[in-house]
Amino acid sequence: MDWLDDELKRAFERQEPPPDFAARTIARARRGGRFALPRWAAAAAAALAIAAAGYGYRQRQGEQAKQQVLLAFRIAATKVNHIQMQVER
Amino acid sequence: MKTNLPALAAALLAFAAAVALAAPQQFQLDLDHLAAKASNAVDLSLGGSTLRFAAKFLDGHDPDEAQIKKLIGGLQGIYIKHFEFRHEGEWTQTDLDRVRNQLHTPEWERIVGVKSAEEGSNAEIFLHVENGKNTGIAIIEAEPRELTVVNIVGPVDLEGLADLGGHFDIPKLTIPKEKKSK
Repeated sequence: MDWLDDELKRAFERQEPPPDFAARTIARARRGGRFALPRWAAAAAAALAIAAAGYGYRQRQGEQAKQQVLLAFRIAATKVNHIQMQVER
Repeated sequence: MKTNLPALAAALLAFAAAVALAAPQQFQLDLDHLAAKASNAVDLSLGGSTLRFAAKFLDGHDPDEAQIKKLIGGLQGIYIKHFEFRHEGEWTQTDLDRVRNQLHTPEWERIVGVKSAEEGSNAEIFLHVENGKNTGIAIIEAEPRELTVVNIVGPVDLEGLADLGGHFDIPKLTIPKEKKSK
């Protein structure tokens, strides 16, 4: 099994990194990594999210106002009809 | 307890400004104290901007909503207080008079008044008329266990309002045409 020991020793043998490894790693980290979005895309995504939230809020407010108006007319019309009915009697 | 005088003064000023700026056909629905006694209370205070905003969300292709949209046009506000009580005697004549007394001006014209001793109910409709034009309406309906006050500010199509009967769960009332046009 000497050949296996030799193979393992070779595989786990300490290897020195290239001389510019540290500098390249630091530079990559400063750039924000491979998957970082460009700043304009992040800003656009944030603006889109804010606009969508604003639109949703406005829709909810509008629907609420509409329901209140419908309720107001339901009460007013019911009362007018009820009074008319009493007059007709 | 500390009193925040500047805040109090600002609130009083804001209230005074609101009263001063209110349209003459808008009256005070000073009935908030009844809410605590009511089993069911509706308090609606819809100003002109709310009405215009709501109108944008009404579907013009839906006949019922289109009718409401038409009725909203030109209105400056709708203010409603509606209370339902479990027992009789929860509201008093003073409550009613406090509202009704504001309608004792030449512009307010009582067009309908119905009193039923049998049912113990009292219903009135007042129109606010300026230069021969209807610019507001007040509806007061008082029953032993129910009290409703409606104030619509702006030109109200009373017939259009009555025509909503049969829609939006509003009971339909059939009035002979010749009587309706009176």
